Amino acid sequence: MKINNVKSRQPRVLSRAVSRKVVEILIAISFAVLNLLPIFWGVVTSLKEKSEIALYPPKIWGFNISFEHYITIFNSGYFRSILNSFLYSVCAIVLGVVFGYLAAYGFQRSNFKFKKLFFYIVVAGIPLSVGSSVLLVPNYLYMMNLGMTDKWYTLILLYAAYNLPMAIWLLIAGVKAVPIEIEEAATVDGCSRLYIITRIIPPLIRPSIGAASLFIFIGAWNEYITASVLINSSNLKTIQIAIYDFLGYFGQEWGPLTASTTIAIIPILLVFAFFGRMLVSGLTSGAVKG
Amino acid sequence: MKTNNKNGILYITPAMIILFSFLIIPLIYTLYCSLFELDYLVKGDFIGLENYTKLITDGKILRSLINTIWISIVATIISMVLGLCLALWIDRKKGFISYFIQMIGLIPWLISMVVAGLLWRWLFDGDLGLFNYIINLLGFESIYVIQNKTSAIVALIFVMSWRTIGYAMIMILAGLKGIDESLIEASRVDGATAWQTLKNIKLPLIKTPLLLSTIVLTVSNFTNNTLPKVFTSGGPGSATTVITLEQYNMSFRYYKFGESSALSIIIMIITTIVIALYIKVAKYKI
Repeated sequence: MKINNVKSRQPRVLSRAVSRKVVEILIAISFAVLNLLPIFWGVVTSLKEKSEIALYPPKIWGFNISFEHYITIFNSGYFRSILNSFLYSVCAIVLGVVFGYLAAYGFQRSNFKFKKLFFYIVVAGIPLSVGSSVLLVPNYLYMMNLGMTDKWYTLILLYAAYNLPMAIWLLIAGVKAVPIEIEEAATVDGCSRLYIITRIIPPLIRPSIGAASLFIFIGAWNEYITASVLINSSNLKTIQIAIYDFLGYFGQEWGPLTASTTIAIIPILLVFAFFGRMLVSGLTSGAVKG
Repeated sequence: MKTNNKNGILYITPAMIILFSFLIIPLIYTLYCSLFELDYLVKGDFIGLENYTKLITDGKILRSLINTIWISIVATIISMVLGLCLALWIDRKKGFISYFIQMIGLIPWLISMVVAGLLWRWLFDGDLGLFNYIINLLGFESIYVIQNKTSAIVALIFVMSWRTIGYAMIMILAGLKGIDESLIEASRVDGATAWQTLKNIKLPLIKTPLLLSTIVLTVSNFTNNTLPKVFTSGGPGSATTVITLEQYNMSFRYYKFGESSALSIIIMIITTIVIALYIKVAKYKI
């Protein structure tokens, strides 16, 4: 660009900047629409009356809002499934975070035989637990053999196991960031190791504990295939089984189905709204290393 | 850095008991089961590798395996390419748009596959779906997406990559943020075009996160049976019956647990190879 041309070009540069901005906003909007459309449409459908769901062309607005489908699903024992999933998640979080934290401390602060081997088992478990379906038949056969299917603790143990590798990984990063001098100073001051592990370090690694809890929660709340195979009793059903069962129970009735999916999404979105940053930093802690 | 050498193993014991009991021993037990006839969970004769040879010579299984491999690879490539484009775009942005895209992008990955599968199934519904309404508005005939073989596969790949674009974007973005700003600045001073900067500086520097997320996504797509089960039910026919769904049917519809154990081991070996690659790339250190 020649200097003496700058003045005459300025309006065009400006309009280019404006059109660039417009294009960017358009991309952002279409990305948001693509990502949120299924959820939006599910919410809209769940609020329609039965007769209006069957209308074509579908009404995007101006329909009568009705909560009949929500009443239907809650009369079909949906609340019990929500409660079950919630309890499974919380227990899996407690188990995963406590055991994961102890393991992370062990890996980070001490040396022992076969440490490398154990560590590789943990690392190999990270992508493995992404696809729990690899372990579907193994876990089924094994749990059947031990008579551990269809119990209140079945899914708690499995969800803790699936999510432990990731939890350990996140917590190792947390423990690593705590300077060893803090522990040395605490020892000099007469703190026992038990006190250090239970009282001094946990408050210092709160973000890692939070990220680990989040991952376990999302994993446990969303898991379907293992639960569907290992749980038969209707009073032990998880929320995801309940949703899938509505598919068969109501046939292709999209009202109750979308109502149940809407409710299932709410806790995830709430958690994400409050702890989204924590989740992102947890997610990327594995990728930027190495 | 290390203290208290004696007790280390005690700390990891509880976690290891869980991992061994529910990840490792079941796999070994399945390896054992795969050598037996095990229809309806009734243990039959020891038949050695017969379950494996049955699977390998079964055209249906092989076809499903090959289908699954290319479906998962195509879905991964789409996620990675779009994720890369989005990441490169918002890396230069600060403030609201960047934050907005990141948060919105992760939502498909956060919601369960049962929910995502059902909601997309409803959108693609042949008679009442919003998709066909839009198609009709644009002047085209309705498409029965899930009832048609080709479109069902395309739709499955679409939903699979839809789920993970945001994940790929976040991983790549983290890599881009790790690049030393002065390198980009230096290349700009030297007169490199945007494309040259991308090709010669950015991409080589984010090779590790690129590879890692490609591997994670390939494994998770390859072993994903929830989404096909909910979204297309494996149909029409067996067009979208991915290998893990085949395994699911073999076990819980036909109760041939010997064969499904053998198939589990085969799937396990394939994923282990990929995971070994992952560990090698990640160079995890303790």
